[in-house]
Amino acid sequence: MDWNCAFTEERLSDFLDGALAPAERAALSAHAAQCEGCGQTVARVGAMVRGLRELAPVEEPPYLVAKILRGTLGARASERTWERWLGWLLEIGQPRFAMGVATVAVCLAIVLHVAAPRMKNVKAADLHPVNVLRATNRQAHLTYARGVKFVNDLRVVYEIQSRFASQPEPAASPAPGPESNPTTVEPRDRSQSRPRPGNRDSRFGDLVVTTSHSERMSNTWTRSLS
Amino acid sequence: MEPDAQLVQLCLRGDGPAWEELVRRHARRVYGLCYRFTGNRASAEDLSQEVFLRVYRTLASYQSGQGAFSTWLTSVSRNLLIDHYRRMRRDRLTDSIEDAMPHLEAKHSPGRTPESLAQASELSAQLQQGLARLSPELREAVILRDLQGLEYNEIQVVLQVPEGTVKSRINRGRIELARILDQMGMRPA
Ligand SMILES: [Zn+2]
Repeated sequence: MDWNCAFTEERLSDFLDGALAPAERAALSAHAAQCEGCGQTVARVGAMVRGLRELAPVEEPPYLVAKILRGTLGARASERTWERWLGWLLEIGQPRFAMGVATVAVCLAIVLHVAAPRMKNVKAADLHPVNVLRATNRQAHLTYARGVKFVNDLRVVYEIQSRFASQPEPAASPAPGPESNPTTVEPRDRSQSRPRPGNRDSRFGDLVVTTSHSERMSNTWTRSLS
Repeated sequence: MEPDAQLVQLCLRGDGPAWEELVRRHARRVYGLCYRFTGNRASAEDLSQEVFLRVYRTLASYQSGQGAFSTWLTSVSRNLLIDHYRRMRRDRLTDSIEDAMPHLEAKHSPGRTPESLAQASELSAQLQQGLARLSPELREAVILRDLQGLEYNEIQVVLQVPEGTVKSRINRGRIELARILDQMGMRPA
């Protein structure tokens, strides 16, 4: 087959990609073996293509994904992250563990709340040691009461949940009704009001909804106190 | 259905974690494409964010029947890269430094980046200089084929040109880039 240097350049990529018909492939190889210029071109471009293929991909900056998520999901992203955290806690520790964590968090909140003076609307009289002491004392009681209420609410939820979880066969328990199984039916009803990602554990939705409810309750409760 | 297409479906239903997963899967690829094309890390970062923002807004227009999500994503990226390139060129033309592009980009590439510690990264930086001297048409063809590993038919979809044109651009791009790298004294082992 007649082959010239222009053919080599024209068909080089097909040759390197293995897309050349056997006859042409043989002709190119034979020509490149004799022609110094073509031999060099084939070797050089072939080595470069192999080198490019083997090159490790450029790594993105570590914060890029977070930036993209903030730019697209916005504040929702952090909410989801928080939700996933809680979901993870529930997954590994069951309600007992989550409650422990929540209790620690509440205690910490109480300590911090009391330790830091309220800087809003500070008057000269407020800075008097007696007033500071009285205000701190009152704030401590308030916050403590709020915390206790929150923990109690959580405990109620936990107890209800463990009771459902430990409910054995229907025969053993004096069942409230033939078809009523609150663990499966109720959460689904509640979660309809809020779209939830994927196949998340229904326990998760249950607890979150109930907790925010009890938070609301304790808010009204503290408002009536103060 | 392919996993990416499933994630897209979930995203369209407002599933945040599905979107996060989609971003995590493809961020490196998009960033790599932008970096290889612009030769500038800051631009690559901005452009990657722009790409995902556009994808997020136009996700509903992606049809899984028309091809892989990654190909669609590459098309979006490529369109933004071309916009960016035109913007840059126009800016340079108004500054009447018409032939400044290779010099400007060359200044950005090697030495300054912390990655040039390793030998492999030096190779990568030199390649970047070589790519900057290639015309954008040939540059994108070589990047898509040999650095991003796309098939000819996928590149055809991304570039919106006939298969023959894709083939000839890749071929010319490879020969030209090998010649440039050779002139730079860079010889592959
Ligand atoms: Zn020859």
